[in-house]
Parts: sequence; C-alpha cells; structure tokens
Amino acid sequence: MLRHCTIAELLEVRDGEGAASARVHLVECSACHAELEQLHQRVAALKALPGFSPPRDRWPVIREAVAASRRRTRIERVGWGAMAAAAALVLFVGTRSLVGNGGEKLAAQEVAALVQESQQLEGVLESVSIRGRVTNGATAATIADLEDRIAAIDFGIERAQAVAVSRNEMADLWRERVTLMDRLVDTHVRQVRYVGY
Amino acid sequence: MTETTLAAIDELAIQRAKTGDVEALGQLYRAYESTVYTLARRMCRAPEDAEEVLQETFLEVCRSIKRFRGSAPGMLTAWVKRVAASKALIRIRYEKYREVEALEEDGGWAGQRDGDVGLRMDLEAALSHLSETSRAVVWLHDVEGYTHEEIAELMGKSVSFSKSQLSRAHARLRKMLGEEAQC
Repeated sequence: MLRHCTIAELLEVRDGEGAASARVHLVECSACHAELEQLHQRVAALKALPGFSPPRDRWPVIREAVAASRRRTRIERVGWGAMAAAAALVLFVGTRSLVGNGGEKLAAQEVAALVQESQQLEGVLESVSIRGRVTNGATAATIADLEDRIAAIDFGIERAQAVAVSRNEMADLWRERVTLMDRLVDTHVRQVRYVGY
Repeated sequence: MTETTLAAIDELAIQRAKTGDVEALGQLYRAYESTVYTLARRMCRAPEDAEEVLQETFLEVCRSIKRFRGSAPGMLTAWVKRVAASKALIRIRYEKYREVEALEEDGGWAGQRDGDVGLRMDLEAALSHLSETSRAVVWLHDVEGYTHEEIAELMGKSVSFSKSQLSRAHARLRKMLGEEAQC
C-alpha cells in the first residue's frame, strides 16, 4: 500500500478486520503505527473517564409506578374474578337451589359479596394512591409485603377456580383477600395523611 | 462493571427479582443505577435526558425481568445495559436537538498534516461536542464493547453506518484533542 491508512482502515485493523495490505503497511510505516497507538490511547482514555451518579433518587417513583401497574393488573383480575363468581352463583342457584345444601348456597352468596367488597377496596386504593409520592422505608416495606400476599392469594384464587374447589374454600380465599386489601388501603390512607401534614 | 456491583447482586436476588419481589428489584436498582446513568449520560446530551433514560430503563427492567433468561450477574449486567442503550437511542432519535458540530468535518487521517493544531480540549469536552449519534456509537463500540452488528441492530441502521459513524467520531476527537499528525 503506497498511501497512509485512513482512520477507517486503522479501526478495522484494531478490530482484527483490516485488509492484509493495511496490516503490512502498518508494520512498515512508523507514522501510521504511531497513529494506531494514538487511537489505542484515546480509547483507553475514554474507558478511564469517571462515572456519574444520578442527582436524584429515582427508585421511589419507579417503585410507585410498578405498584400502580400491579394494581391495574389486580383490578382487571378482580373484574374477571367477579364475573366468574357471579357466573358460578347463577349456575349454583340455577342447578342446586332445590337440592343443594344451605351451607354451600350461603358460601356462594358470601363469595359474591366478598368479590364486590374487594372491587370497592381496589377503587378506594386507586383514589388514594398518588403517583410519585415519597414513601418512608417502613411503609414501603409494609405495602410491598401486603401486595405480595395479595398477589399470592390471587394466584390461589385462579388455581381454585381452575380445579373447582368448594364454595367454602373459595369464600376463605376471598375473605383473606378482603382483609389484606383493607390493610393495604389503610396503610395508603395513613401515608397520604402523613404526607399531607 | 465494578466488583462491588457484582457482589451486591447474587443469583438469589435475581431469582427473587424475577418473582416481582419489590425489595429485590430495589436492590437491583441500587446495584445498577450508576452504571445505567453513566451510560445514559455518555449517550445523551442533557443530564435530564439521562435521568429519564434511567427511569425508563428500570421500569422496563421491572416489567420484563420475568422474561430474562439467565441467572448469572454478568448476564444480568449485559441485559440491563442493553435495555439502557436501547432506551437512550430511542430518546436520541426522538429528541429535537440540532446536531451542532463544533468543528468541520474531518476527512480522516490518511497521513495528512493540515497544520491545524486544533482546539486542545479535554476528552470530556470533546466527547460532548460530537453528534449524539457519533457519540453513542463510539461509546457503545469502544467502551461498552458492542460489535458493529449489535449497534446496527439497536439503531435500526446498517453495519456500514455504524462503522462510518465510528470513523467520523475518531476523526473529530483527534482534531478536537489537538493530537498531532505523526508524519
């Protein structure tokens, strides 16, 4: 190669892709060799530039957005749960009201009432949750724990629907869900009051 | 990635984060916030854009970690960085910055001595004077170790586009840094 290497050619040689003629030229030409060395030094200097730390803690906002997304998913799930419970109740009343036992019938009605209560609590929760509101560590941990437990209950409800457990067992699950939802709403309400002060 | 980060995130924490455990996700954020923010700052012109990239990256990480295939911290680092790079490139693409080049185009090395000792500025300043696209390519390729194929895929451009951006970036950096021609 009679001419000097271009930067593109030097970069290719550095990356192990260069043409044979360019590699031969680099051996013979001290100027291009020095240019390649300068390139290496520049890249080393780039790698040695200091890192940055974010000026603000973004985790509270991200955590709240994740929680809000989970709430939306839950609300959708509760909606489906309510439809399934209502359908089950209609089916139950339609087919067993004459021969079914009284306990099962009561449990079915209780499931429907608990699903409705759960939906109402989801609505309250949606109205008190404020996106981006800073939460202290202890409250955040409580909220995370309650949400995880509600998610576990929801998983249990889904499985229970799939295997058609008894109305009493289903009522137990929904009762526990309402209890946890109630505590979650209460935690959020206290947090809003605290921030409000 | 520093040793501290690798030590802070272990396989158990990754598994917990995959189940949606908020505490584990928070641990993941703490371990990677500086890495992601640095990458975003190097790619985006404005610090506030880098903050947005940081937030968007971790929202995506929290949403998608269930789909992350792998359990080793090294794999997680590469995945988180890829999400961050992708978010930064999206932001660059849609930003309405005028790409102001401080200096004229440089035709390349080719042994030329243009007699221009150039503006001798430090590397940090020189980097900030590159176009956002050139800066993103030089950072992803030369610092983060992405191949031209990977950069092309992330940018939705061709491999030759990535290569030409890298050449341009180095030509400009050399000029702005006032590096002397060697012959």
